[in-house]
Amino acid sequence: MDVLTPSTLDEALRLKAEVPAARPIQGGTDVMVELNFDRARPPALLNLNEVRELRGWSRENGTLRLGSGLTYTEAMAGPLAEAFPALAEASRTVGSPQIRNRGTIGGNLGTASPAGDALPPLLVRGAEVELASVRGARTLLLTEFLVGPKRNALEPDELVTAVRVPAGPGSETFMKVGPRNAMVIAVVSLALRVDGDELLASYGSAGPVTGLVRAPLSERAGFPEQVAAAASPIDDVRGTSAYRRHALRVLTTRALDRCLA
Amino acid sequence: MADAPQRARGEAQYTADVLLPGMLHAALLRSPHAYARVKKIDVRRALEAPGVHAAVGPEDVEALTDEPGFFGAPVAAIAANTVEQARAALELIDVEWEPLEPLLDPDEAVRRGQLTDEPRRNERGDFERALADADVVVEGEYRTQVVLHNPLETHQSVCRWEGDTLEIYTSTQYIWGIRSRVAKQLGVEPDNVRVVCNYMGGGFGAKNDPGEYTYVAAELARRTGRPVKCALTRREENLAAGNRNATIQRLTVGARSDGTITALGGEFVNAVGWDGWIAPTDGPMQTLYHCENVRTVTYGAKINTAPMKAFRAPGYVEGTFGLECLLDELAARLDVDPLELRRKNYAHSSNERPYSSKNLMECYRRAEPHWERRHELRTRSDSTWKYGAGLASQIWYGGGGPPSYAWTRVGSDGRITVITAMQDIGTGTRTAMAQIAAEELGVPLDRVRVELGDSARGPFASISAGSSTTPSMGPAVRAAAADAKRQIIEIAAQRHHLEERVLDISDGNVVSADGNLSSPLEEIVGLLENAQILGKGARGPNPTGMQVLTFGVQVAEVAVDVETGEVRVLRVAAIHDVGRVINPLGASSQVEGGIIQGIGHTLSEQRLLDPATGTVLTQSLDAYRLPTIADVPEIVCELIDKPDEHLTNLGSKGLGEPPIVPIAAAIANAIRDATGADIHSLPITREEMLRALEAAKQKQRGAPAAV
Ligand SMILES: Cc1cc2nc3c(=O)[nH]c(=O)nc-3n(C[C@H](O)[C@H](O)[C@H](O)COP(=O)(O)OP(=O)(O)OC[C@H]3O[C@@H](n4cnc5c(N)ncnc54)[C@H](O)[C@@H]3O)c2cc1C
Repeated sequence: MDVLTPSTLDEALRLKAEVPAARPIQGGTDVMVELNFDRARPPALLNLNEVRELRGWSRENGTLRLGSGLTYTEAMAGPLAEAFPALAEASRTVGSPQIRNRGTIGGNLGTASPAGDALPPLLVRGAEVELASVRGARTLLLTEFLVGPKRNALEPDELVTAVRVPAGPGSETFMKVGPRNAMVIAVVSLALRVDGDELLASYGSAGPVTGLVRAPLSERAGFPEQVAAAASPIDDVRGTSAYRRHALRVLTTRALDRCLA
Repeated sequence: MADAPQRARGEAQYTADVLLPGMLHAALLRSPHAYARVKKIDVRRALEAPGVHAAVGPEDVEALTDEPGFFGAPVAAIAANTVEQARAALELIDVEWEPLEPLLDPDEAVRRGQLTDEPRRNERGDFERALADADVVVEGEYRTQVVLHNPLETHQSVCRWEGDTLEIYTSTQYIWGIRSRVAKQLGVEPDNVRVVCNYMGGGFGAKNDPGEYTYVAAELARRTGRPVKCALTRREENLAAGNRNATIQRLTVGARSDGTITALGGEFVNAVGWDGWIAPTDGPMQTLYHCENVRTVTYGAKINTAPMKAFRAPGYVEGTFGLECLLDELAARLDVDPLELRRKNYAHSSNERPYSSKNLMECYRRAEPHWERRHELRTRSDSTWKYGAGLASQIWYGGGGPPSYAWTRVGSDGRITVITAMQDIGTGTRTAMAQIAAEELGVPLDRVRVELGDSARGPFASISAGSSTTPSMGPAVRAAAADAKRQIIEIAAQRHHLEERVLDISDGNVVSADGNLSSPLEEIVGLLENAQILGKGARGPNPTGMQVLTFGVQVAEVAVDVETGEVRVLRVAAIHDVGRVINPLGASSQVEGGIIQGIGHTLSEQRLLDPATGTVLTQSLDAYRLPTIADVPEIVCELIDKPDEHLTNLGSKGLGEPPIVPIAAAIANAIRDATGADIHSLPITREEMLRALEAAKQKQRGAPAAV
């Protein structure tokens, strides 16, 4: 297996166009698991770790622009945590310190798992995903980007370069239920945001894709039930569908209390 | 720790580190069916794969089977230059399977009479009559799940034939057991089997026997004329490397209204699996309390699941959960303080035989301040989080026994080597043995070196299971040290024209009682030049007619989120009576490890099967959930540390197992204290917690207003 290591975004896009089957790798916390369990045998890895353009985050006229190489550790602290508290809370629950140091937001989008913890905070902010290829750049709403369980809208020659959310004020939080206190894939997770008169909730691990539910603030009382009803959870080794619905109700109630306190 | 630097620097050689010149790697083909027949097996294509040297199947090695009775049963094996090549070649073994209908329900197995053994029945007194006469009767059905050992080092062996001698480097709890079992199985002289285990990455009871990996490596090594390593992967470790079997316990207690227990009864179904033995799930009911009328029956259900193996106090962990929860339900019914109830039913002397020592009452006394904390704790409860405390008692074996031997060697440099072919399974045994020898010989610890881990280089030593390493080996080491000391004093007496009885060794000096002589040990043994002093020691018998048992009590504090069902263990106080403590740090590590492993058993760990096919669903440490450091509570460890005067020259009992015995019941009882819900099933997942809360609500609604 070849490892291709571009040092600029242009070079990365050129390589991706030349070898579309090359698998991008950032933190590798999903890719290496797939290789270890022999679930994937890509002919090449496209190592994006040297591509500076993908790193860090910035404020750009009213939006927060998070590079696809932004790690959970970076999202957990400092001014970004203040500007995007639900993402910071979600990041703190990811894996272990080692995973948070390596794992990236872009990788979470690439994997597009319904259990991805970065997704609910991004969804309640109405995030947009920036995609690029040698053919040019395009922007998709995150809801359009996530097309199915572990499936996204990336074309074979495309890379995720960044994700953008409005920087505006609002009150938000993230909560996660897992079977133990650390190193857990969510049994269910929930991000909730109160944006002016609107309530937005996004749940993870309770449907084939991370779901998004909206309601006017005036319908607060029925919102926990609305979120639970919107979900379509399954039974698996982590929990039953009945428990997941119940937990979503509880988490939504608690998140509303927290955000509207 | 005597070997801490080696461990920290990565110099300690575990079996996983053994690399012999020309060594091949084996991989095992395992059954994809919980029950099947192998109609045809053809390894020809596999033999042609790159790097492959040999293949073996059911006809070549007895540990391989053509009628697999559980998912993951070993069927065939390949040896190749690399593990990857061996694994790749497994896919080229052509097998024609005939899947059979698996039986997975232990109750159904008992109904059908599909048992591993005759049911074990025990009765003393007249249970039926006592029950009829009781003022109150409480019944309950308790269930425990299958949990896995998952030691850090997976099961593995490296085998090499040197002429007609087989060398086995293996991760084991019993060097001498491997030697005799393999010799017998292969029909070679035990002396022609050399077993080596220098450092070992944990076993918890799953590494007492050779296992298919050893037999497969031995046969493949014989066929290829090269050393062969067979190491289980983490996935295999989660399939078929042993487990604590599930149990169903239908329990009854009858008592007088003052709390005196008059009748105890239990029907226990151990879901043994395809093979294994009936662990003493009934043990705690028979031994923990004074009760004249006790009746138990224990079934071993033979079902299509991987064989159980001993696991840290097998049977007693499961049985203590049932019994100690039942006792708290009785206490709640009678409105008696749970600690009082246990004191009231204290077993002062056992029915047949006296205890060599028992300080459980002292443990209860020392538990009091921890137990008192519950009043303050409960006041922290709000509408979401409920706080409470619970306790449970512990009884278990741990006395060890003969035979076991050790040698000591004192050179003219005054340094001492302890030699015995025992194993250190990661519990700090090297350090403990060095301490025992140093104390007996009166020399600083750093003068003593312990050589162990090789059946060709030392005398027979006991198994490291049943909390027996220190109580079995310690006395032999102490006797060997005493033997050397006697000889040193003899020489010193001659040289200084003093009587032996006035001489002693202290802090590395030979000293006389009147203080006139204080001469460094080297000056005495230095006279020897190349001669050496050799000491011999043997483990004496246990006291006749006495029961040697360990005791303890644990108090757990928990918080329960009654909306999500999350349970947090906040604090555990563990008070145990294990005789004399040799190494306080090693001892508290055992207590912490036992409690953490027990918290996994109580809250999160569970091997899950597909109920229709018997396929293991939890094949990785992602799906099988061990506790993480974030799940570990504050652990307070108190040891009574009174030498058992009847037990050996050391007075020490074992501590590897006792701490895991009461923790599940202590947590469950704390949950009842916090929420009023009765826990009847492990693990207490969030869903199980919510179910128990719901059941408590129903019970309250349905129950009469007052009793
Ligand atoms: C022990 C452990 C614990 C974990 N715990 C959690 C958890 O609690 N919550 C959680 O959400 N996840 C968890 N994960 C999963 C993983 O850490 C996250 O999904 C993480 O965000 C992946 O980021 P990464 O940079 O490591 O991705 P990588 O593994 O490098 O890549 C992941 C996927 O995205 C693709 N990709 C990466 N970058 C790009 C790009 N720029 N453009 C296009 N495609 C790209 C890759 O090709 C791959 O398909 C855990 C993983 C492990 C091993």
